[in-house]
Amino acid sequence: MARRTPAAAPETTLPRAAYVLGGNRIPFARAGGPYAHASNQDMLTAALDGLVARYGLQGERIGEVAAGAVLKHSRDFNLTRESVLGSALSAETPAYDVQMACATGLETVVSLSNKIRLGQLESAIAAGVDTTSDAPIAVSDRLRRQLLDLSRARSAGQKLAALAKIRPKDLAPSAPRTSEPRTHLSMGEHQALTTAQWGITQAAQDEVALASHQRLAAAYDDGFFDDLVTPFRGLTRDANLRADSSLEKLASLKPTFGLGLDTPATMTAGNSTPLSDGASTVLLGSAEWAAAHDLVPLASVVDSEAAAVDFVHGVDGLLMAPVFAVPRLLERNGLTLDDFDLVEIHEAFASTVLTILAAWESEEFGRTRLGLDGAFGSVDRARLNVHGSSLAAGHPFAATGGRIIATVSKELHRRGPGTRALVSICAAGGLGLTAILEAA
Amino acid sequence: MTVVVLPDVPGLGGLYARAAASSVRPRRQTDLPDVAYVVRSVRADPAHLTDYQHLLAESASDLLPAGYVHVLAFPVATALMARADFPLPLVGLVHLSNRVTQHRPLSLADTFDVHATATNLRAHRTGTQVDLVTTVSVGDDVTWRGVSTYLAKGVFLQGAGEDDRSPFVPPVPTGQWVLASDTGRRYAAVSGDHNPIHLSSLTAKAFGFPRAIAHGMYTASLALAGVGAARGDAFDWSVDFFKPVLLPSTVSVRIASAGTAGGFDLAAWTSVPHLTGNVTPTP
Repeated sequence: MARRTPAAAPETTLPRAAYVLGGNRIPFARAGGPYAHASNQDMLTAALDGLVARYGLQGERIGEVAAGAVLKHSRDFNLTRESVLGSALSAETPAYDVQMACATGLETVVSLSNKIRLGQLESAIAAGVDTTSDAPIAVSDRLRRQLLDLSRARSAGQKLAALAKIRPKDLAPSAPRTSEPRTHLSMGEHQALTTAQWGITQAAQDEVALASHQRLAAAYDDGFFDDLVTPFRGLTRDANLRADSSLEKLASLKPTFGLGLDTPATMTAGNSTPLSDGASTVLLGSAEWAAAHDLVPLASVVDSEAAAVDFVHGVDGLLMAPVFAVPRLLERNGLTLDDFDLVEIHEAFASTVLTILAAWESEEFGRTRLGLDGAFGSVDRARLNVHGSSLAAGHPFAATGGRIIATVSKELHRRGPGTRALVSICAAGGLGLTAILEAA
Repeated sequence: MTVVVLPDVPGLGGLYARAAASSVRPRRQTDLPDVAYVVRSVRADPAHLTDYQHLLAESASDLLPAGYVHVLAFPVATALMARADFPLPLVGLVHLSNRVTQHRPLSLADTFDVHATATNLRAHRTGTQVDLVTTVSVGDDVTWRGVSTYLAKGVFLQGAGEDDRSPFVPPVPTGQWVLASDTGRRYAAVSGDHNPIHLSSLTAKAFGFPRAIAHGMYTASLALAGVGAARGDAFDWSVDFFKPVLLPSTVSVRIASAGTAGGFDLAAWTSVPHLTGNVTPTP
């Protein structure tokens, strides 16, 4: 048999850079507040139109728009495309939906910037939206099956038989919940287990919450968000922000999670994120596209790593996946935690931030779980969530990634070339997504 | 001209009731009253705006759709039509056409004044028609101007005129409106226009319609919503109404680029034409 000569290896070239060029979001509202009757499509369209107005994109055909919502009605199968059609962007802008729990927003940034890096796209908009006020409500599974049977029934007898199977208890609607399908524990109860495992105190959690409120309030007062936030329905700042919060006030709140554990319950409404409504967008592009549109690149999206943990069997806490993603990401890029000027760890709960940091600072965890010689490292608190995070801003699940990326990119650009940021977002299902950005 | 300043935008229900009561009196006027109606410092309510936007399949933005401005402003003109010295009976007036010029969009944050007059009383083939001119301004800045033409059938104040509208040729549709039997009730709930001809078959039959009919401004506003963001911030939005849409109904529509002329052509029809018009961006 004739031997073939192996084909010459394709010439490999390093992909070009993909830049964050800007961002826009609507202020985040608390559930049941001023956006109570606004749909996901309304809020996403409002955030997109704000971005369009800010960057002069009226009628512009963007390469692709990707967005998603965690709580999404099945009729919104094309939520992003429908929002694009309702926006001032060109109707010839393609769009697709993404769903990766609370990492949805960051995943749209990562996947679109990769397409830009590969040369498939010149421009893109990454986005996310969520409403817990206008959440879809489904009928019970039994009722759903019976209604489908009824729709297939042909004779009157068959229809009556199908109808007769419906019981009053089947009529109870099933609202979406934040509990894990496999453990039936809410996210808060899961985090309470992790909090207890790492012995995090309420005082430590309240300090994280207070810093979040104070830093976000200071950023608003300094005008930092003037070119990142478009008012909507009367809101000009995030409704959850409490500039006058204090450790005393936070300490007076009663614990809401972990009440059934042997250890002290430490997680309160003050050091947990509230259910929220909101939308965010991030404008991405190549250097060429940015120059052609007179836009200044703020930061480049350098690399990303996802991880997942086996929380189902209690190996790790539900929200601890970033603990594993970041060491892999940094090793691939030859970096350590000390190489970052900014570190953004999404505050699902104050204790999520603290348990992640505790795991990285643990000698034993570093050796046994991360396969290192010792502890992975520590994060200087002065570099952590410098403009506040989800505890103060609120957390409309899929919109959080866009909020963080736009905020941190602007801050990197302010600090100038050579500065670098690490972004970490935990998500339901034991997922975590992390990314590195560098000032452009 | 006398200027009547109303404390608030009046409710349409009370106006219809008053007009119905006064319609039994003989009307002697053959001229329009020389009067303007004014309401100052009007603001939109966010929840009401959201209800309107969702009913019209508009995205719930902070900008007020031009049809929503009509909902807020036109009752001021209706108050003028409900005057005892208005020469045409309010109950039974037919909306023939509506022309709106939006100079810039109003937002939830705007406080605006509404000014309404009646002009151009003139003959029509089947009766007498009149223009209601409503302007909306923020300070001295007119942002929105609407001219609503109404017809009083069978009322001949100045003899009979001609119908100068060209005959309707159904175009290729771009979509359809599936209008349920409660369409009139749903728009009534948002617009405040509870005219019985829109509410149910029974109440519509009392006024000579076989079934309830859709509000003309609802169909006109659906057509405007169909144009989407391409209408821009400043535009002329013009519609002519033909036969009323009997509810329920599935209506063929064409909302498409007008070609080189710019803007969008609008048409809605079933076996008979219901609406034609256009939306043209203005500089």
